[in-house]
Amino acid sequence: MAMDGSENHVRGATGTTPEQIDVENYASLYTGHTKIARLHFIADHANSRNLELEALRMSLDEIKKGDNTMLFKECVEKINGRLGPGYGLDQEWIDTVERRAAQRQEKLEMELNGYKTNLIKESIRMGYNDLGDFHYARGDLQQAFKCYVRTRDYCTTSKHIIAMCLNVILVSIELGHFVHVSNYVSKADQTPDVQDPVVLAKLKCAAGLAHLESKKYKLAARKFVDSNFELGSNYSDVIAPQDVATYGGLCALASFDRAELKSKVIDNINFRNFLELVPEVRELIHDFYASRYASCLGYLQKLKPSLLLDIHLYDHVETLYEQIRHKALIQYTNPFISVDLNTMASAFKTSVAGLEKELAALITENQIQARIDSHNKILYARHADQRNTTFQRVLQTGSDFQRETRAMLLRANLMRQDFVMKGGRKQS
Amino acid sequence: MAIPVDGSAAGPSTSGFTALLDAIRARHFAQLADILDTSELEIAASGASKPQDWPYAVHVLAHVVNHDLNSARFVWKRTPVSVKESSPELVAAWKIVQNMWTHDHAGVYKALKGFDWTELVQPITGAIGDNYSTSMLRLLSTAYSTVSVADASGFLGLSENETVTFLTQQHGWVLDPASQMLTVRPMSTVSNKKTDSSQLQNLTEYVFHLEH
Amino acid sequence: MDVLDQLVTQVQALSGSDQDVAHLYTVLKQADELLHSHATRLGYCLTALNPVKHSLGYLYLLEAHTAGSMSREQSETFLGLASTFLNSCAPEQIRLAADKFNNICRRLKEQAMHLHDPMRAILPLQAAIRKLQPSSEFLTAIHADFLQMCLLSKCYKASLSVLEDDIFEIDQKRTALVPRDFLLYCYYGGMVYIGLKKFSKALEFFQHAITAPTTSLNAITIAAFRKYVLVSLIQNGQVPPFPKYTPAVVLRNLKSCVQDYLDLANLYATRNIADVKRCITTHEDVFKSDNNLGLAKQVIASLYKRNIQRLTQTYLTLSLQDIADTVQLDGQKEAELHILQMIKDGDIFAAINQKDGMVSFQEDPEQYNTCEMTQRLNNEIHHIVRLAKKLTWVDEQVSCDHAYLSKIGRDRPRYEPEDFELVPQKMYTNL
Repeated sequence: MAMDGSENHVRGATGTTPEQIDVENYASLYTGHTKIARLHFIADHANSRNLELEALRMSLDEIKKGDNTMLFKECVEKINGRLGPGYGLDQEWIDTVERRAAQRQEKLEMELNGYKTNLIKESIRMGYNDLGDFHYARGDLQQAFKCYVRTRDYCTTSKHIIAMCLNVILVSIELGHFVHVSNYVSKADQTPDVQDPVVLAKLKCAAGLAHLESKKYKLAARKFVDSNFELGSNYSDVIAPQDVATYGGLCALASFDRAELKSKVIDNINFRNFLELVPEVRELIHDFYASRYASCLGYLQKLKPSLLLDIHLYDHVETLYEQIRHKALIQYTNPFISVDLNTMASAFKTSVAGLEKELAALITENQIQARIDSHNKILYARHADQRNTTFQRVLQTGSDFQRETRAMLLRANLMRQDFVMKGGRKQS
Repeated sequence: MAIPVDGSAAGPSTSGFTALLDAIRARHFAQLADILDTSELEIAASGASKPQDWPYAVHVLAHVVNHDLNSARFVWKRTPVSVKESSPELVAAWKIVQNMWTHDHAGVYKALKGFDWTELVQPITGAIGDNYSTSMLRLLSTAYSTVSVADASGFLGLSENETVTFLTQQHGWVLDPASQMLTVRPMSTVSNKKTDSSQLQNLTEYVFHLEH
Repeated sequence: MDVLDQLVTQVQALSGSDQDVAHLYTVLKQADELLHSHATRLGYCLTALNPVKHSLGYLYLLEAHTAGSMSREQSETFLGLASTFLNSCAPEQIRLAADKFNNICRRLKEQAMHLHDPMRAILPLQAAIRKLQPSSEFLTAIHADFLQMCLLSKCYKASLSVLEDDIFEIDQKRTALVPRDFLLYCYYGGMVYIGLKKFSKALEFFQHAITAPTTSLNAITIAAFRKYVLVSLIQNGQVPPFPKYTPAVVLRNLKSCVQDYLDLANLYATRNIADVKRCITTHEDVFKSDNNLGLAKQVIASLYKRNIQRLTQTYLTLSLQDIADTVQLDGQKEAELHILQMIKDGDIFAAINQKDGMVSFQEDPEQYNTCEMTQRLNNEIHHIVRLAKKLTWVDEQVSCDHAYLSKIGRDRPRYEPEDFELVPQKMYTNL
């Protein structure tokens, strides 16, 4: 994921609440690379120095458990001595790790070459896999990607293929190559005899992330709400079950119609388990469905600062919120012949003037069929007059037909006479 | 219909204006513009220049009375500067067009009343004034629900007192004395909705066309 | 007997039956060079001929007689002779020599312009068009000149008698016109309709000019497109895509010649009055030198109108102040004037409440049940039926056309869809 995407945008939107997030609690949900990446993301987008340093501290602790010396240096540079001597450039550690790594790389490559000369399929696969794991741990994602992809030719069982796909997906998510994510999800989906609910849930989540990334919120929502709850913390190196609830819930609100929201989210026993993990999201979905918009918007407002620190969601928060708000406005006006704008404005926690502008935009986009009585501050539903519209269309079609036919007849004659302006620049 | 123009002589032919005078006298204003337009082209085609007493002002106003300001504008544009300079009546007529063009209602009435029109022109300016106040009354009653007395009098070319009297007594509008605002009573428009047998005939023909 | 006298005698003798006239035509064609070499002496011969009876001969002699440059006096004489001739000649005779006839008309136009009296040419050219046209559906080379004279003399309405005829027939053999005549006809026609503020007709004419078959981009097409852009914005608020039959050379090269105009169109789409105004001010020189500044200013006015119309779709009532703010007008009074004018022109339906400073927008009261509306519908249907009959007729003609049949080949079914690419699809489904 590109972290440098829209920092300005994020900075502009944050800065309201002093403590945006409980980092320790948050970080405990994740393992592996994503834990570090998420902490770095928080550090980069934090609105307080405390939060930034806390995130960096935890990140460096985590890095030191692994072999990624590059990342270690980077992180130390970011800390810049602010966390005391314990968080400085530990050159000794770096040297040890790098020495060990060089030896290991040599050994792995030699082994792989040996397997290749002997043409032992399964060993080659494992060789590439080990080498992939090695590069992944060292943070060389491109090399890791290549190694994992190469195991493909030596897969002999469904299990191998799934393992290969999951590895490629893991690296691709980290690289931000979501096209590969989609490709390898569908490769895995086509593999026969995959019944492991955890694997299936992982694939759904990966697909959901890919759709989210390409702003296909409806498709993303469908993947997330279909993810099996047995996922648990098994995919913590990519996504936490809390994320499934949040991503899925918000995408669903923004893109599902009322019926779909009811059947696929609210009545979805499996997804309900996820929602229980993030009660705010559960509540706001229920508020939305029950038309308690003020409360729903309140929850959304409260969630916003922490969502803006989410590595996958931050770029979509504004769009999703806008769509949810529009949906709410449309849904609110839908059953009424007339709506008092004062009442509606308080339901949406806005001023009447602001509401008028929002409604005017939606009416212009033909999302709401109504007109605003700005004098008395009332919104009136408008019903298209079928008969008049038909007459108008008839007259329009008639005149279009005549014009096009005339042009066509004239043109047919021009062609028949080969009446072509030729060559040269004739100036009149 | 057209003025018989003697091709050889460029001089004015009093008899040439008979058709024109007849049309004005009979108040057939709709034909006026056509008569003059055609005659203008015929004179031009003969190679002659317009006679001294060519009714320039009538020509402009003939289009105005037909609600064709655009054509009136073109008549003015194709009139030679020398003529414009020497014909106060033409200039006065043009003033009417200008005010109409810029929607200066009060200015239109002022221009209509502010010139001592010749006998030939008088019936036309009279008709223009009548048409104008009628159409302004119609516009007032469709475009406004409440309107100030001052604005209404500008539209109608009447004094404020006359305006109030006229609108309240003849058209049933209501005056709010405190705000000097009139509440408009919309005019009822009658439209003809009857069908006659010729339309049935038409329908028959269309169906025939569609089937063949 | 003098050779010219002989010719005059022949003309007199051979102006009766169609056969004679056809024979005379061959004689005159052969004598054309001779006539031109004796140009100066022909004035006398002309007096011996009757323009009505001896139209063909008269045409040849007059044409040869006036081929050279003319003095002011000569040009007066020519205009007199030509006007009388064009008004009175026999159509079936002069149609044999359309090229000569066109020469006379072109010369008439040139001389009228030379004398700074374009109005003088209007009626003679109008008569000439009617004489040369086999029917009112035929375009002639005279059309463009006629329209140009109407424009120059500001007699816009006078052009309608010709311009309102639908043109379908282009026939080089019968009217001796060239592609340039067609382009100019479209261009001037569009300009006349702009002057008359009949913008949708103007667009139709400009579109013909833009899509006319061509192998190179020419100045007329460019000028037509510039006006097309502005008029499209005024009339429809946007510039439509090119029809698919637009020549490739136009599609390829036109845009780079009219960038200022396309910039304006793009800004117009954002509906921001200030940007549009700024664009027009920045490019004022361009618009002015293209003679389009007046149109550009109408573009601004149309955006105000369009922005107000959008409000009527959204609001039932809105204060004059809000309207002024939203569409960037200078205060309530200005907004009221705009609204008033739009009500007057039937662009919107609304009532201004001066007391509260509010406007209430209404639906179009048209119920499509009046006699006038029925009449209008009847007229439209009538036109369409007539057009459809013409279409059927043309279709039959094409189906029997040798060139067409040999092109599509015998083995293919006669009604392959791609053979009808030119035909809007609607045609078959609508009727």
